[in-house]
Amino acid sequence: MGNFDLLIHGFGIAITPMHLMLMVVGVLLGLVVGVLPGLGAPNGVSLLIPLTFTLDPTSAIILLSSMYWGALFGGSTTSILFNIPGEPSSVATTFDGYPMARAGQSTRALTLAFMSAGIGALLGVIVITLLAGWASNFALRFGAPEYFAVYFLAFAAFIGMGSAAPVKTVVSLATGLLLASVGMDNVTGEVRLTFGFSDLLGGISFLVVVIGLFGIGELLATVQEGLSFRGVSSRIDLRDVLRTIAELPRYWATSVRSGLVGIWMGITPGGPTAASFMSYGIARQSSRKGKPFGTGRPEGIIAPETADHSAGTCAMLPMLALGVPSSATAAVMMGGLMIWGLTPGPMLFATKPDFVWGLIASMYISNVVGVILVLLTVPMFAALLRIPFAIIGPMIVAICFVGGYTVSSASFDLWLVLVFGLVGYLFTRLDYPLAPLVLSMVLGHKAENAFHQSMILSDGSLSVFFSNPLVGSIMTLALALLILPKLLHLGGRLRRRQPVE
Amino acid sequence: MTVRRFHAEIGTAIGTGALGLAAVIGAAELGYGWEESGPQSGYFPFYVGLILIGASLWNLVAAFLRHRSAQAHAAAGGEIEEPFLDGERLGRLGRFLAAMLVFVVATLTLGIYVGSAGYIAWNAWRQGGYRLPVALVFGIGFAAALYLIFEVAFLMPLLKGPIEPLLGIY
Repeated sequence: MGNFDLLIHGFGIAITPMHLMLMVVGVLLGLVVGVLPGLGAPNGVSLLIPLTFTLDPTSAIILLSSMYWGALFGGSTTSILFNIPGEPSSVATTFDGYPMARAGQSTRALTLAFMSAGIGALLGVIVITLLAGWASNFALRFGAPEYFAVYFLAFAAFIGMGSAAPVKTVVSLATGLLLASVGMDNVTGEVRLTFGFSDLLGGISFLVVVIGLFGIGELLATVQEGLSFRGVSSRIDLRDVLRTIAELPRYWATSVRSGLVGIWMGITPGGPTAASFMSYGIARQSSRKGKPFGTGRPEGIIAPETADHSAGTCAMLPMLALGVPSSATAAVMMGGLMIWGLTPGPMLFATKPDFVWGLIASMYISNVVGVILVLLTVPMFAALLRIPFAIIGPMIVAICFVGGYTVSSASFDLWLVLVFGLVGYLFTRLDYPLAPLVLSMVLGHKAENAFHQSMILSDGSLSVFFSNPLVGSIMTLALALLILPKLLHLGGRLRRRQPVE
Repeated sequence: MTVRRFHAEIGTAIGTGALGLAAVIGAAELGYGWEESGPQSGYFPFYVGLILIGASLWNLVAAFLRHRSAQAHAAAGGEIEEPFLDGERLGRLGRFLAAMLVFVVATLTLGIYVGSAGYIAWNAWRQGGYRLPVALVFGIGFAAALYLIFEVAFLMPLLKGPIEPLLGIY
C-alpha cells in the first residue's frame, strides 16, 4: 500500500465518535495547560499519561497528541493577550502579537496566530505523511551501532545547535543519563546506584522528573516574579476573524518560509522554541518596507507561529520512525508509548500500522478542530488568567503532586517532585536547558543497550561506529553537529574582533 | 539578603559535580571494566559520571572567571553584577516553598485530599485575602473534584490518611 492508501485507512480509524471526542477533550485540556503558567505541554502530557493506562494505545496517543496541539494554541493565546508566553515556544509571538492586541486589534492578532499555527501544523503533517514510509524503510537497515549513532546524533545536535552554553547542555544530558540508570540494569539484571534506598529500586520515573522540572520549576519562576496580569480585551468578533482570514494569502511567502524552517527544526532536534525564534529572525531580516518589527507587524505573528507548529508536528516523525524525539513533549509521549508496550522505531510502522496512521490522520483532524475550538473558547480561557494567583497557583501545585503520585502510587515520588522542582527552577534561571535532560532520561536505557550490544559485537572496540558507510556517516554527521556550529561561531567572533583591535 | 548569580552558579556546579561523583563511586562498586559477556553494569554510569564531573568543573571555573571579570568591570565604574534573587523575591519564593513543604508533609501523613484541601484553603485565606469560610469552600471543592476525577472516573486510588475512613471513603 502507498502512503496515501495508508492515510485513508488511518482516517477510517481516527474518525470515530470516540476518537473525535478524545480530540475535543485533548485540545480543551491542552488549552488549559497551555494558558496556565507552570503547566505546559511536556508536563501536561506527563500528568495525563497515568490516566491513559485504561485506553488502547491508539486512543491514548490521539488524546495526548491533541493535548499537545491544544497546549501550543493556548501558549499563543496568553502571549498575545497578556504578554505572558504560556509555553517557551510562544515567546517570539509576544514580540508583535501583544503590541497588535494593545492597539485594539486583538481579534486580528489571535486569528493570525491561530490560522498560521493551523497552516504550520498542516504543512508539518503533510511532510510526515510523505516521509513516513521512507523514514521507516531507511530505519529498518539499522543495527545496534546505527541506533547508538542516531542517539549520539540527537545528543550532539542538542549540544551543538542548542541556544544554551554547550557545557551546560552536557551537564543536562549527563544528569538525565545517570537518572535513567538508577535501579535495575536491564542488561545484566544488577541493581545500580540506589545507595541502599529501597525506594530507588524501581528506578526514577521520567514522568515524575518532568512534572517536577517543568511544573513546579516553572511555577517557582512565576512566583519569584510576582505575577500581575495586565490583559487586553479577549472578545472575538466574527467579522474581524473573516477579514483577517482574507488578508492571510498576502503573507504566503512568510508562511511557506516559516513552515520550512519549522519542518527542518522539527525533524532535526532543534525543537519548536528554536524554530520560532529562528523564523522570527529570518522574517525580520527579509522584510524591507512597512512598520518596524516589534510594533505589531502581521509577519511578526505569522512567522513564529507557523514555525512553532510545523516543528511541533514534525517532531513526531523522528520519534515514531527512529525512536528519537526532538522535543521535550515528544520525548514524554515516546515514554508513554513504551509504557503502553509499544516500541517506537521502524518496526512500529510494520507491526502497528493502525496506530501510526491513525495518529497521523488524527493530526490533520485535531489541528482543524483545534483552530475552531480555540477561536470559540478564547474568552473563556483568557478568563482563567484573571483568577487570582493565590487560588490558581496552589491548585497547579496540588495537581502536579497528585500527578506525580499517580505515576506509580509511590509516596516517595512526592519528594522527587519537590526536589526536581527546585532543580528545574535553578536550571531555568541559570540557563541550563531542560529538554536534553528529559530526552536523555527517556533514551538512557535504549542508548546504553545499543552501546552495550555494539561493544559486544566489536569486542570493545569503538571502531564499530565507523565500520560501515551508514553508521560511519551518521557518526560523522553527529561529530560535525557537535563541533562545527560553535567553531563557526568562534571564527565569526574572531573575525569581527580584528577590525576593532 | 541577596543571592548573587555567582553563588547560584557555584552551588549548581557543585551539586551536579557531586551527582557525577556519586555515580562514579556507585558504578565503581559494581565494576566498570570488562568481563567475558561484555561491559560490566557499572561501565556506562561510570563514564557518564566522569563526563558530568568534567562538565561541572568547567562550569565552576567559568563562573569564577565571569565573576572576576564582572568585579573588575564594577571596580572600573560599570554596573554591579545582577542579583540572582533580591530580598523581596527570596521572601516570596521562600514563603511559597515553605507552604509547599508543609503541603507535602501533610499529604504524606494525612493523605492527598486533606493535604490539598488545607493547602488551597490556607493560601486562599492568607495570600488571597478571602474570608475563611470561602477559602474552605475552595479547598474542599478542589478535593471533591480530585475524588470525582481520579477515584470515580478513572478508578485510580489516591493516597489517603487517617481521616477518610472516618467519612466512609476507602
